[in-house]
Amino acid sequence: MEPVTLNNSVDIILTPQFYTLIREDLELKFAYQAKQIAPSLFDDYLNNVQEYQYHVNKCDTHWCFIAYNIDEIDTFLNSVGIEKHRVSKIYFAQQIANVLKEPILLNDREVLQTIDETVTLIPKRLMEPDLEYKSLNIEDLKISNGVSMGASLNSFVSLKETILLGSLLFTLGTAFIVEGTRTKSSIASENERLGMLLDENPKYTNSTLRKSVLEKYQPLDKIERNKRQSLKDLSKFLSANSQLKELTINDSKIEATIATANETIKKQVIEHTKAKNFKSIITGLNVKVEKKI
Amino acid sequence: MTLQRYRNEIILLVAFLFALFAFFYKISANSYVEENKANIQEQISEISKIKNYQGMWGGKNMANKVKSLKTIIDPSKVDSFNKKSKKLNAVYSNLTSMELNQLTNKLINMPVQIINLHIIENAKNKFSMELTCKW
Repeated sequence: MEPVTLNNSVDIILTPQFYTLIREDLELKFAYQAKQIAPSLFDDYLNNVQEYQYHVNKCDTHWCFIAYNIDEIDTFLNSVGIEKHRVSKIYFAQQIANVLKEPILLNDREVLQTIDETVTLIPKRLMEPDLEYKSLNIEDLKISNGVSMGASLNSFVSLKETILLGSLLFTLGTAFIVEGTRTKSSIASENERLGMLLDENPKYTNSTLRKSVLEKYQPLDKIERNKRQSLKDLSKFLSANSQLKELTINDSKIEATIATANETIKKQVIEHTKAKNFKSIITGLNVKVEKKI
Repeated sequence: MTLQRYRNEIILLVAFLFALFAFFYKISANSYVEENKANIQEQISEISKIKNYQGMWGGKNMANKVKSLKTIIDPSKVDSFNKKSKKLNAVYSNLTSMELNQLTNKLINMPVQIINLHIIENAKNKFSMELTCKW
């Protein structure tokens, strides 16, 4: 074939030397089912060294299985100057078997013709010398179900890898978005609670006001609780043998004088006061206890 | 045509950009939550504390409640009971230990600020008590 220069994309019809055809009468309903069994059909016909791709289409009552090697086709296209990205679709001559019932002249040496429903490449010398060849009007061809030149050859990344990596990245991205949305919504309930609290107390939107109110109440709460706890502790030191003589509570301290009946009770009172962090001063049988608030 | 030629790379690029965008969205959502969660929780805690404190120490209806410090003791033992504005000055005398106990229990269960409390035993089992509190 003569080298060509292309400015636009083209579709290509491959002649039989680029593919292997098997016609089978199988009870299959769908093309994808046929495609699944295609490799096993060619086991005895193709060598295992090369990697083949398979194309399947319905030929009247039969299934036509076509095996081709995309690298081989690519090498050929390169050799005639057709860039890969210029090729839109690849069709097989078998797909236009009906049109090739009359022979067409491919070049000085070869003729293409359908023989027994199979498109065949025939040396011109085998044909009758005065045979008139029909010309193939491509415009009139109604041909579908072509093979894409394949992302596998046009791109740096194969279609398989694209699907795999793309799905992986898409899944990853979706997981990130779901996770992000879930994280954001995790504070939604707290946000809602805060909104309700602020609706009830709009003046506390101001953080300075909140702080100042807390500064007022927090020390007060602490001191008053301390006073009450100390008073409760002190009441535990009292009994029939240890009686209160005097008690004073103010903002800075609590102090009390406890009169004890004997040395044993005095010691017990002192021990108890120590345990509750009271400071004790002993005067005879009297124990004066005090604690800073 | 070039787009067609690099279709796979474009698909992968779009998928990668989507994953990258989603990753940044996740990171930003995390930092948004980290920044805001503590802040929101702090605000909720502050407002709840204020509500609790105000409920307890706000002195609502205290003027009536402190009256019980007078009524639970025999009137003859209440030397003075001056309630002015939000402050109470009270002096008791001749309190038995049981009455003293009753009175102090009532006082410590009342949300008032004890400014001054002075109890002294004047005679055997007879106590006098001076109390200043406010709310």
